[in-house]
Amino acid sequence: MAMRDYAADKESFKNFFVDFCQTDDEGNKCFKYASQLTRVAHREQIAFVVELDDLHEANEELAEAVKQNTRRYTNMVSDVVYEMLPDYKHREVTAKDALDVYIEHRIMLEARNHRIPGEMRDPRNRYPPELIRRFEVYFKDMSSSKSVPIREVKAEHIGKLVTVRGIVTRCTDVKPLLVVATYSCSACGAETYQPVRALQFTPPPACSADECRINKAAGQLHLQTRGSRFQKFQELKIQEHSDQVPVGHIPRQLSVYCRGETTRRAQPGDHVAVTGVFLPLLNAGFKQVVQGLLSDTYLEAHVVTCLNQSDESEMADALTEEELAELAEEDLYTRMACSLAPEIYGHEDVKKALLLLLVGGVDKRPNGMKIRGNINICLMGDPGVAKSQLLNYIDRLAPRSQYTTGRGSSGVGLTAAVLKDPFTGEMMLEGGALVLADQGVCCIDEFDKMAESDRTAIHEVMEQQTISIAKAGIMTCLNARVSILAAANPAYGRYNPKRTIEQNIQLPAALLSRFDLLWLIQDKPNRDKDLELAKHIAYVHQHCSQPPSSVRALPMRLVRRYVALTRRKQPVVPRALSDYIVSSYVELRREARNARDVTFTSARNLLAILRLSTALARLRLSDVVEKEDVSEAIRLVEMSKQSLTHVEDNTQRGISATDRIFAVIRDLAGSNNTVKIADVIERCVDKGFKPDQVDACIEQYENLNVWQVNQVRTKITFM
Amino acid sequence: MYDLLSDFETVTPEAWIANENTWREKLLKLQDWFQIPLLNCNASHNLQNCTLVRFRGMVQDMHNPEFYFEHFEIFNTATNEVKMKSGKYRDTANILENEKINYSQNLKSAQRQTIVVVSIPGLNDWAQQLEDKQNHLRRLEQQPNTSSRLNPVSSTKLKRNYHETNEDTDSMDVVDTETCSKERKTCENTDNTSNGVSREHLLNFPLPDVSSKSCIIKIYEENDNLKLNDLIEVVGFLSVDPVLSGEFQPEKDSLLDPQLENELETITHNPPPSLVPRLHAVYVKKLDHCNPLIMDKFDQASVLKEANVAREHLLKALTELLLGDQLAAEYLICHLIASIYLRQDTMSLGQFCLNLSNLPTEKYPNYAKQLYDIIRQFVTKSYYLPLTIDNMNTLALLPKKDYECNRLTSGVLQLSKNTHLVLDETKMEQGTLDATGVNNIAALGNMIQNQKVEYDFKYYKMNFDSDISVLILSEGKSLLPSDYHVPLRPEDSSLEIFDAIVEAATYYLKEEIMNVIRTYLTSIKLVKYTISDDLQFVEDDFIEMRSKSDNQNPVTADDLHRLLVLARLVSLSRGHDTLNKECWEITKNMEAERLHRLKNRMSANKF
Repeated sequence: MAMRDYAADKESFKNFFVDFCQTDDEGNKCFKYASQLTRVAHREQIAFVVELDDLHEANEELAEAVKQNTRRYTNMVSDVVYEMLPDYKHREVTAKDALDVYIEHRIMLEARNHRIPGEMRDPRNRYPPELIRRFEVYFKDMSSSKSVPIREVKAEHIGKLVTVRGIVTRCTDVKPLLVVATYSCSACGAETYQPVRALQFTPPPACSADECRINKAAGQLHLQTRGSRFQKFQELKIQEHSDQVPVGHIPRQLSVYCRGETTRRAQPGDHVAVTGVFLPLLNAGFKQVVQGLLSDTYLEAHVVTCLNQSDESEMADALTEEELAELAEEDLYTRMACSLAPEIYGHEDVKKALLLLLVGGVDKRPNGMKIRGNINICLMGDPGVAKSQLLNYIDRLAPRSQYTTGRGSSGVGLTAAVLKDPFTGEMMLEGGALVLADQGVCCIDEFDKMAESDRTAIHEVMEQQTISIAKAGIMTCLNARVSILAAANPAYGRYNPKRTIEQNIQLPAALLSRFDLLWLIQDKPNRDKDLELAKHIAYVHQHCSQPPSSVRALPMRLVRRYVALTRRKQPVVPRALSDYIVSSYVELRREARNARDVTFTSARNLLAILRLSTALARLRLSDVVEKEDVSEAIRLVEMSKQSLTHVEDNTQRGISATDRIFAVIRDLAGSNNTVKIADVIERCVDKGFKPDQVDACIEQYENLNVWQVNQVRTKITFM
Repeated sequence: MYDLLSDFETVTPEAWIANENTWREKLLKLQDWFQIPLLNCNASHNLQNCTLVRFRGMVQDMHNPEFYFEHFEIFNTATNEVKMKSGKYRDTANILENEKINYSQNLKSAQRQTIVVVSIPGLNDWAQQLEDKQNHLRRLEQQPNTSSRLNPVSSTKLKRNYHETNEDTDSMDVVDTETCSKERKTCENTDNTSNGVSREHLLNFPLPDVSSKSCIIKIYEENDNLKLNDLIEVVGFLSVDPVLSGEFQPEKDSLLDPQLENELETITHNPPPSLVPRLHAVYVKKLDHCNPLIMDKFDQASVLKEANVAREHLLKALTELLLGDQLAAEYLICHLIASIYLRQDTMSLGQFCLNLSNLPTEKYPNYAKQLYDIIRQFVTKSYYLPLTIDNMNTLALLPKKDYECNRLTSGVLQLSKNTHLVLDETKMEQGTLDATGVNNIAALGNMIQNQKVEYDFKYYKMNFDSDISVLILSEGKSLLPSDYHVPLRPEDSSLEIFDAIVEAATYYLKEEIMNVIRTYLTSIKLVKYTISDDLQFVEDDFIEMRSKSDNQNPVTADDLHRLLVLARLVSLSRGHDTLNKECWEITKNMEAERLHRLKNRMSANKF
């Protein structure tokens, strides 16, 4: 490899700092580095940050070189900046601290001592540069460069700029670290400077100033704290995120040394991204004797940023081509639904509902009133129908979620508790599961066994999405913008279809009505389904893998990222659809009045339909809700009702699907004699019939001469 | 053959590096590795620094990788000579007093991995003894002439202090030529308790009150395949230079030197090498099992052929021990040969947590322990955990990351694959569980249901897959979940003479029969089992069962899973590597009888 021409690099840096400019939104030119230099010159800024993005734009090759050999370029830029500073100094700077005064004096002293004509000597040369410079140079990695897993930071990264992510497990106090030691000689009074680059140093044995050397006085050196330069220093230990660790391995750690401006950026438990130079550290003293053959490594931090949430950045990454191709395959909705808990067989509609819960509807705030967009779902069912497994899966899938049981394990419970701090005696709030799951999903198992106090609070959470606290002098309102996914066991062990839901679940109607969907999962013997189930299980045991199904399950990560993508959309319901929604709702209400209704059909159902349809629109990444979304939402609501009502009647007392469709059509016609087939199909699909069943029904009754169908088959006329 | 061997006794790291591939091939060709001393059975002070040794154990922790100098230059101040050396397979620079390492140039660093390996937790005495016998005999015979043969080599080549170790070794050999295995436990007791760090702390063994060894292994080849809790056998160069101990570290100058690594961490990571030897691995082998009886190549056909004989013996013994209850004995056999064979997302197949309830504890309060004492004669790895309130509240079941010492502090549930955990619930009394106790119970339940153990990394938790067969012995139905619950139905006649039965059983189970059973239990787990495509009878039966199910006796998908797992074990235990109709019928009958018992029990409890 040819040696780089460092002198040329130095020159290009100089030009870069002078020339680089960006045009901001208003078209003004903004000299980013020139203004930084000005601020540094006036001691208003300490860190001088060079963004590699900018450098890349100006000089691609140089940016690459910086990444490969960062330490060297840090020093080089430091020199360049120091040389340039005087040009940017427009006014006298008042000394800010003792060191400034010291530096000033030294420069003056040097200038006076060497005022010999002919000696063209920069007065500041004799001092170690670290002593006089009050700024620090940092490089910011390119935004396009990927972060390296801690596990992958290896010997080949030594000396290079790398970005890693992790969680801070330990950080030391910020301590002063000696950068330049200043000694004064007891014999001649001369000052000796010793730059310290490692973590340890050996003081020089004797004064090496000219005077002492000539006199052979060997004066003793005394360390001068005030004249020495110290730097803030902190060591961080970061550890890999749990998702970066291969299965069955222990998370790895990395030491990060932070100096100066990069200290105090993070605390234990923070998720951080650190850009820095990976360097070896030679052991000295005892360690050198013992482990002479080992070198520790550390990351010299250049940029330390706290990440709010571990996964957000991962979510933000755009989907790759392959992933998009995978998603673009037909019927995404069904496929994604099937990808939820693929090992649980069947329950397609429940899974669809859970998928919509993850996506969520759109929040609305008309005139300050808040209408939640989060979808709440309650799963009921006999013991052992995989309710808890579904909850568990959603808990794992959702980027932010809490899993608890109704009998919350700690005193904090579901909502929040006021605790007294043992040290300060202050009162503080500790959030329960619902607060911790803010903007996520709260899975509550054994919902029916909830404590009384939590039950009252959950009313508020489920509609207003807040928790009000008035305890021990603390009055506040915490956000709890959660989707609640509850699982409940029926009272008396089994669901009794002859009772109402309240009697079955022993929860007040006011609470139950806050759920957008209530599913009763039942496990009824059914020859065909059982055979399929048996085949499925047998296959698993035979081949030690899931059977290849028609819909391939999507990987969890992809589902998670796609859901994150959908949540950015804010679809609206177009005016044209309102009539359709209104009429569907009126129909629901009418049915609820007529039939023996075990559920509650109220205005909340209308909201539920709206929420579900916006969620469906989001899933299509569309900005507008379409009619299909609404009808699918109505279908889901209808199916959830059916799961509750049609418990006992698998065959509905001998009434076939055809007969039921006929009843629907008759109702639809009402006093009119004619009905549009399009309307018929729409209504029937809402009720969970398939179009071909409808066609069959129409044909059958046409043959019976109950009605006539016109030539183009768009209208039915009753005889 | 013998030549090959002596090569391995004398090889030095330098020689190995010079010709790495040839040595490796030689090692793989070596018929029995017994000749390379096994550290588990030989005290480390009997072995010399930088000789090839073996260690067998479970990966307990993985440390951060180390950067070492693959090549470095040394400069002799006396002769002005410059030499290149390698730091591979070594901890110390191995330089003379007037030599200096050149830290400024010609250095080449490389990375090596550091893992902590502890001797296999729960390894039963019989296996340990066998291992000792296999690996120890030769050592005792050859010890004197090995050292005499080695002495000239070391005196010319090795450093001064190696002589000291040598002399040390010799003198000790004189004292304890016979009692090597005993001294394994008693030696090393001297150098603990300094700096407030106990021996237990340094050894970090999962199980309390069990003597163990641990070893720090340095691995030079990148190996992602190596996972936590794997059983491995390592061949490598021993490094026991006493200066490696972190306890000797002098006080640091706190003013000038910011304390980077805290003291506790240094001590924990650099334990005295006499206690925790370092091993520089040249070869790492993953072990499927650790049964010393099975050494030759695994032969499925012969294993299956011999299965029935062993099964008969085992069934006879267990039936007697379970007081004449043959059904329970059948289930127990299935339990003993079960292991997980499929894992997918949240599902794992093959787990077989057996709950034997209705033990005659009134008559024999120690029945559970006595039963365990027999079981542990059969299986290679097992652990008996009495579920007392006190145990639950005090024991650390889950491994936890200790950031002070920067290591994974082990817990009881950090066990290797196919370890049998016997939980004795008959020892539980009334009392209050505190927070630890509740967590421990939850951890046990979680492990039984999902075969996953949640390791606590403070900032997050991580699930590690486990494969631990759990046997719960209780009076009533256990408070922990189980896959198969069998209430014991003792015969009155046997109940009277239980003590005599135990005695008879020990008499009946002679060493040869025992060995047949031991071999059977381990080898049957290695058999490859297949299910033919034609499972019509299974499907038909399931549909029939479903149609018969009602609210009282629900039949769900889980039941079919359970049946198929049981059928697999029933077939395997009888020496079939595929599912046939006959075994399916047996399985169905077993389950039917078990469920019938459960129902009777329930109705009996009601009235």
